[in-house]
Amino acid sequence: MFKEFTKGLIRENPVFVLALGLCPALGVSTRVVNALGMGAGVLFVLLGSNIFVSLLKNYIPEKVRIPSYIVIIASFVTIVEMVMQAYLPDLYNSLGVFVSLIVVNCIILGRAEGFANRNTLGASILDAVGMAIGFTFALLLISFVREVLGFGTITLFAMGNFDGVIEIPVLVDSPARVFALAAGALLVTGYLIAGFRWAQDKAGGGK
Amino acid sequence: MKDLVKIGGKLAVICAVAAAVLGVMNAITEPQIEHIKQVRLEKALKQVSKGMNIGEQKAVPEDDVVDAYYPLYEGTDQGVPNGYILRMIGSGYGGDMVILASFETDGEVLSVQLMENSETPGLGKEAEKQSYMKKFTGTGDQEPIPVRKDMLSQEQSDAVTGATITFVGIAKALVEGSDFVNELEDK
Repeated sequence: MFKEFTKGLIRENPVFVLALGLCPALGVSTRVVNALGMGAGVLFVLLGSNIFVSLLKNYIPEKVRIPSYIVIIASFVTIVEMVMQAYLPDLYNSLGVFVSLIVVNCIILGRAEGFANRNTLGASILDAVGMAIGFTFALLLISFVREVLGFGTITLFAMGNFDGVIEIPVLVDSPARVFALAAGALLVTGYLIAGFRWAQDKAGGGK
Repeated sequence: MKDLVKIGGKLAVICAVAAAVLGVMNAITEPQIEHIKQVRLEKALKQVSKGMNIGEQKAVPEDDVVDAYYPLYEGTDQGVPNGYILRMIGSGYGGDMVILASFETDGEVLSVQLMENSETPGLGKEAEKQSYMKKFTGTGDQEPIPVRKDMLSQEQSDAVTGATITFVGIAKALVEGSDFVNELEDK
């Protein structure tokens, strides 16, 4: 049972191994704080959709399952959007259109179709949490590399006197701006996927 | 046929439940979202007012671009306005953009602020920064408002590269706004 949770982290990491959800992963990974916000959004939506798809798997007719899943997913995304807009307006502004695009994030539909509709509630919850954490982990890794190289900063949440931005000496004055742009996103993600595969091959004896 | 009704009915039930839940969520979050919008608007109004007092909002339903305007007064006397703040709707790359701009009574641009928009982060969204709008300040009376890239200096046009549609959208709205101020009668 527990392996349903851990598989999403490394072995079946949605971004690095399954190559799902690359569009938002590349789009929002310019700042570390965006990665955290997107990760939290995906966790909530994935958890909600996996729970409901798993609960309703005997109720939803086979022929209209995809529209049903989309309705469920879109509802959760809209909730996330409204809550973010109301209580985290700055994060909402920086994530922009990518929040609404969680609807078509293939991780979520992929898990509904590929896992939750044929597994128990408990397993679906663990799968959702594991996958979402795996996605967040991947996003954090990409955004960390991109922000450090591309802006010379690390942006976290502002708390008290701390404005949320850690500046890295030298790099902040002459950042390699390409990493903040789309080309850099593809480059970083490509190398990380390669690194991931290599590490996996080494650990798993190249299976 | 019976099967079809059953399947359709089930899908309809799912949709109805989803709609009900969203309705409730909307009722909860809407006041807070409105509040945030209001605070943001007041902050922006204050910024573009250049320290002048802001009069009461007047709606302009018959204009396509100018949505509403606020007269500006230098003193507390609400007689003849010394300028105007216009709320304008421009069209950008990602749909409509709300632009707030203050003008002298002769149509010269004082200050501009980009409000709600769906421009691309990193490109068009850069227009939200105050420094972006510097190219427009002081134009509109003696100097024309730049509406094409070749009317900008090298440095300024570099800043709009990759986001020309955003730039043109803002510039065109400002031209309309400047003309609108010139045609206002109560000055």
